[in-house]
Amino acid sequence: MSAKNILLFGYGTHGRFIAKGLHEDGFRVKVIESTLDFYTKAKEDGFEDALHIDVTQDEDLKALKPDTYAQIVCMMDDEHLNVFLTLSLRSLYTECYILSLSDSINTTKKLQMAGANKVIDLYEVSANKIHNILNRPVATKLLEKFFTEKGGISFQEILIPEDSFLIGMRSDEIDFSPFGVLLVGMIDEELGHAFIFITAGINHKIDVGDTIVCIGDKEKLEVFEEEIKKRRN
Amino acid sequence: MNKLLLSFALFLHGSKRYRSTKEFIHDILTNANNPNKKYIDITIIFLIVTSVFILIYEVKNPVPEWFDIYDIYFVSFVFAIEYLLRLWVYNDLSEDIVQEYNDARYLQRDFSVWDSLKTGLSAKLQYIFTPAALIDLLAIFPAYRPLRILRIFVLFRVLKLLRYTKSIKQFLEVLSNKKFELLTLLFLLFFIVMIAGIAIYVLEEKINPNIESLFDAIYWALVTISTVGYGDISPVTDEGRTISIFIIISGIAMMSFSTSIIVSAFSEKLSELKENRIIEQINKNKSFLLICGYGQLAKMFFRQRETEMLNYIILENNPEKVKLAIKDGYRAIHEDASRYDTLKKFNTDHADITMLCLADNDVENIYISLNAKSISRKIKVIARASNSAMVSKFKYAGVDHVLLPNMVANTMIYTAITQPTMHKAIHAILTGKNIARIDEVHVNYYPTLIGKNIEELHLKKSKLLFLGIKREGEFMFNPPLSSSIEHHDILLVMGRQISLDYFKMQHAGDV
Repeated sequence: MSAKNILLFGYGTHGRFIAKGLHEDGFRVKVIESTLDFYTKAKEDGFEDALHIDVTQDEDLKALKPDTYAQIVCMMDDEHLNVFLTLSLRSLYTECYILSLSDSINTTKKLQMAGANKVIDLYEVSANKIHNILNRPVATKLLEKFFTEKGGISFQEILIPEDSFLIGMRSDEIDFSPFGVLLVGMIDEELGHAFIFITAGINHKIDVGDTIVCIGDKEKLEVFEEEIKKRRN
Repeated sequence: MNKLLLSFALFLHGSKRYRSTKEFIHDILTNANNPNKKYIDITIIFLIVTSVFILIYEVKNPVPEWFDIYDIYFVSFVFAIEYLLRLWVYNDLSEDIVQEYNDARYLQRDFSVWDSLKTGLSAKLQYIFTPAALIDLLAIFPAYRPLRILRIFVLFRVLKLLRYTKSIKQFLEVLSNKKFELLTLLFLLFFIVMIAGIAIYVLEEKINPNIESLFDAIYWALVTISTVGYGDISPVTDEGRTISIFIIISGIAMMSFSTSIIVSAFSEKLSELKENRIIEQINKNKSFLLICGYGQLAKMFFRQRETEMLNYIILENNPEKVKLAIKDGYRAIHEDASRYDTLKKFNTDHADITMLCLADNDVENIYISLNAKSISRKIKVIARASNSAMVSKFKYAGVDHVLLPNMVANTMIYTAITQPTMHKAIHAILTGKNIARIDEVHVNYYPTLIGKNIEELHLKKSKLLFLGIKREGEFMFNPPLSSSIEHHDILLVMGRQISLDYFKMQHAGDV
């Protein structure tokens, strides 16, 4: 099971965008559609192994072997079908990671009840965006850049290698600003791969195998990552 | 004379100061949205109330001399000035003369200053005879106490209040909608009263000691038909009593009829009156939100708010949705935001308005955005677009922020797939949730920060992460610690809400 294998249901308004983006970033995407038009579109766009099946049939779903994929993404344009599909997948495979898109306020709850691990509500995120534009315009613009611009300022997860000069240092005393990057937080394996913000006030001693998360210019982040590997204490 | 007037008119026409003064006075006297108008209103109302108080007080008590001086000279003087100013700003004589002069020159005909002066003055005369202006004029007359009848002029000052109390104005407006019905009724009343009055006069003038003239008879008829019935005059013959029976019955009918007319006039206008009241209320704020369309996005927008929103109003074209919004507890009115008149009702001159176009129709959203921008460039517009191809059109329309719900959701999903661990963090930052808020510190609100360098802020100690400074439109990520903070900077910091609040509180002091 490779982390880069994604099973994508739906090649409609949203699926199309996601499929292309993932493909560009080197993910292996398998597109499944139940609408012929969208299926043809997927084929035209170069998703050769796209399949046209009836997603309400359990047999067809099983044949896809969803459990061999790292993530299952449900974003059919028909919201009723989307809920049904999420529920079917969950009942068939209890362990799968299912991500669903909801494009109505009332569907979000249903998708969660149907067993989706993560539901993204189109209206919720948009409404949040409006609040952000109104209350924190500068911050919003900066955050927008993280996602829309390749390059520029972004996040990066960096694994601490053996013999790094950082080992043994406390997160409090670290100052990466000379490198042009900022430490935002770290991923704690003990807490089940959870992300902890530096501002949460936890003083953590850095060890081999920890992952730190930095924010900064893409190029500088890469230089910084090399630096960590090179330098010894 | 001709020349003198013309050159004077040309001088006024060219004087910027004259123009701006006149505009300023016009605005402050007539524009209800002018924030300074209320001071004028309060002053005038105070003068009226004190003047009436003096009138009542002097009935039983001797008044000190300065009361008289205040009432006769001061109040009248202020009212006279107000009257003259209103007359002055009503129209523009110099403008008329200059216009006429230019036309005459163009057509090469003889120019006479009197023609244009005549039209201008007749317009002023028209104003003088409007009820409001007449009341204003009569209110100027000082209450000359020795002549009892002249004291009544003080009551014209009370009528002047009409101009300053909106509810009475609205009451009259509502009634004027039923002018036809009310006039018909009034005519009928007049007719019955006259007939009954004349009849009783003819029948009882000689017998009834209380009826001495036609005036007495008509007075009796009116008292009876109104169902007041003082009883000072009453019929003594059977014929007279028969007439009484008739006018009592028609009186009851007429009373109920007029009541129903007034009630129906109000119920017809009730929702409009309520909506106007809501608009007036919102216009009093320095800044407010106009939300156009109450759909899923608007609902979610309200659900996601962090604190109670005070200054907003929802404009919705569909009455069903308006009902729904009101049921959900929001301030909504049934108005079409794409109409010029609708947006013109809002205080576009004096308030900061942010408009959210949230309809799920691009054509509608663009039209509304353009409508807003055409009224005032100052209105900030955030509009929703269905796809990225629309963005350029929205930008052309002058929209400040284009929101693509599909795009926002897609990027969220995308990060959820590609960076599953980071997604939670990014989501937390994006939604501004408690642990990791990115907040803006606008330095001009925290003057103690000016001139300090970043190191001196001890952000690390306050458990805040400093991201950068926005200065003159440019964002500087992670600037050196020695850089100093300037007046119009916006600092971007990240941290828990509590740390942010504490930081702001620390620096808000000793302004």
